[in-house]
Amino acid sequence: MEKKRRRLFRRKPRKLNRSMAGNGIMFFIMFICGIFMALPLVMIINNALKPLDELFQFPPKIFVRNPTLENFTDLFVLMNNSWVPFSRYILNTIIITGGGMVGHVICASLAAYPLAKHNFPGKNLLFSMVVLSMMFSWTVTQIPQYIIISWLHINNTYAALVLPAFSFGMGLYLMKQFMEQLPDALMESARLDGASEWRIFWTIVMPNVKPAWLTLAIFQFQQMWGNTGGLFLRSEELKPLQYSLQQITAGGTARAGAAAAVTFIIAAVPITFFLICQSSVLETMTTSGMKD
Amino acid sequence: MNKKKKKLTLSRKRSITGFLFILPWLIGFIWFYARSLFLSIEFSLSNLTVNPGGGYTLEFVGLDNFLYAFRAHATYKQVLTTSIGNMLIDVPLITFFSLFMALLLNKKFRGRTLVRAIFFLPVILNSEAITAAMNLVRTMMSGGISSASAEMAEAAAGTGVGLTYYIEMFSNLGLPDSIITYIAGAVDRISDIINASGVQIIIFIAALQSIPESMYEVAKIEGSTAYETFWKVTFPLVMPHIVTNVVYTVVDSFTQSEVVELAYDTAFTEMNYGLSSVFSLVSTVVTCLILVIVCRFIQKRTFYYN
Repeated sequence: MEKKRRRLFRRKPRKLNRSMAGNGIMFFIMFICGIFMALPLVMIINNALKPLDELFQFPPKIFVRNPTLENFTDLFVLMNNSWVPFSRYILNTIIITGGGMVGHVICASLAAYPLAKHNFPGKNLLFSMVVLSMMFSWTVTQIPQYIIISWLHINNTYAALVLPAFSFGMGLYLMKQFMEQLPDALMESARLDGASEWRIFWTIVMPNVKPAWLTLAIFQFQQMWGNTGGLFLRSEELKPLQYSLQQITAGGTARAGAAAAVTFIIAAVPITFFLICQSSVLETMTTSGMKD
Repeated sequence: MNKKKKKLTLSRKRSITGFLFILPWLIGFIWFYARSLFLSIEFSLSNLTVNPGGGYTLEFVGLDNFLYAFRAHATYKQVLTTSIGNMLIDVPLITFFSLFMALLLNKKFRGRTLVRAIFFLPVILNSEAITAAMNLVRTMMSGGISSASAEMAEAAAGTGVGLTYYIEMFSNLGLPDSIITYIAGAVDRISDIINASGVQIIIFIAALQSIPESMYEVAKIEGSTAYETFWKVTFPLVMPHIVTNVVYTVVDSFTQSEVVELAYDTAFTEMNYGLSSVFSLVSTVVTCLILVIVCRFIQKRTFYYN
């Protein structure tokens, strides 16, 4: 008996070893893939710190020899010379990116809840419309979109960029898939306790799908951040930061240093946002709240 | 929901509440997206001419644009088939690669947020402004010698043990051609695949996060190995999100495909809006069909918690 017990206990560390070897191989694969993915970022950071002569060096070096902040000071000089005060561009970006993201997450989650957990006529039709709309590339429908925007008379306002973002199909789809996984019993118990649908949504559904809507927020932030205003914003004082930075890089070889700094800034902001969101995803210890 | 037990009035009330929840989204959807979808269909059936003073006139031509696209257009059919072929190669690979990566990134280790960020990088770097700036920096670095260096790189790739060597070796082993082409295509697109799987990894991580801890606890107590736990617990619970990711991947790879490029060029360089609408409509229908088939296939095997 005693021996048998011991053998049972001895088994455990052997399994641990095997899984550790497996982990080792997996981390190795991940490391290789990771290097390829991290390389552009390393390049961007190093380029931003390179003085001009190193930028033009051939063959190019990845790592910087004499790091300077020259590129950034160049960029700030260029910024100060812009026709519209630079803070205006930043404000525009905050309004467009923030508004589009928050609105989209809220609208998509609100709409996803009944689609996932309620029954009503026309539900399937609506859902297939959503999937169909995602399939339609918006580069191609720019013309109809422009016609609609000008028909609504919101051309050349923030609304032209922010409002369409509210009803983007992808978010609804993502949120629906996640909400479908919530156990029905959770909502039923809240209903029995007399909670209204509104209350169920905010206090039960949303906290439970926090990873999902944070993902959506990251996703939408990236989409809105990359927006240059394009067709819809014509006034210079409404253009987002991306547009003005693009103008700086369009200056060609003479502005090489500033361009490197611009790339760094454009990449750094979404990465920071991503890191913040991801660390709060980690904090949610998802429990289903069920006792069965 | 046990709808049958309740009275009609209550269920109706509930469906009204549900509808109110959807309303803000739906209004925006109908205004901005549904309408442009219908406008595109309208364009595809007519000949669009832009008026000099502004606005446009539509002249109904029936299915002429469709017939032209399939019978007379030089490249459309070929571009469509290659785009769909590439998509069929990419979708399963991206899905499994991202699931695999998500499993690894979901483990607890030091600096995992940073590693996750690295894997999300391609999505972030995929913006217009960054591409423009990166191109500028690249042209500066290579300067006037860029064309020479490109030739040198090509020459280097042609020598030694290349991809073709392996392909020949495998075909000598007697593997069927279709498998070899698939593998060769996949190897050829590894960097594309890694680059395209950023969002999918994030979706899978979120999915893995929402698996209740107690499930794993039960599996552990019952003495299942890591392998068994994956197939009996993780995989079934992540299954619904495999559908999500397949849909996302198809959409993503499609919107960046050559068909869309062709449609865009037709609209904005050749100014043929009708034909461009036909291109995008046909491709949309084809991808939708693929998606329906794939989703049916997966959904049959999907396990839902309820």
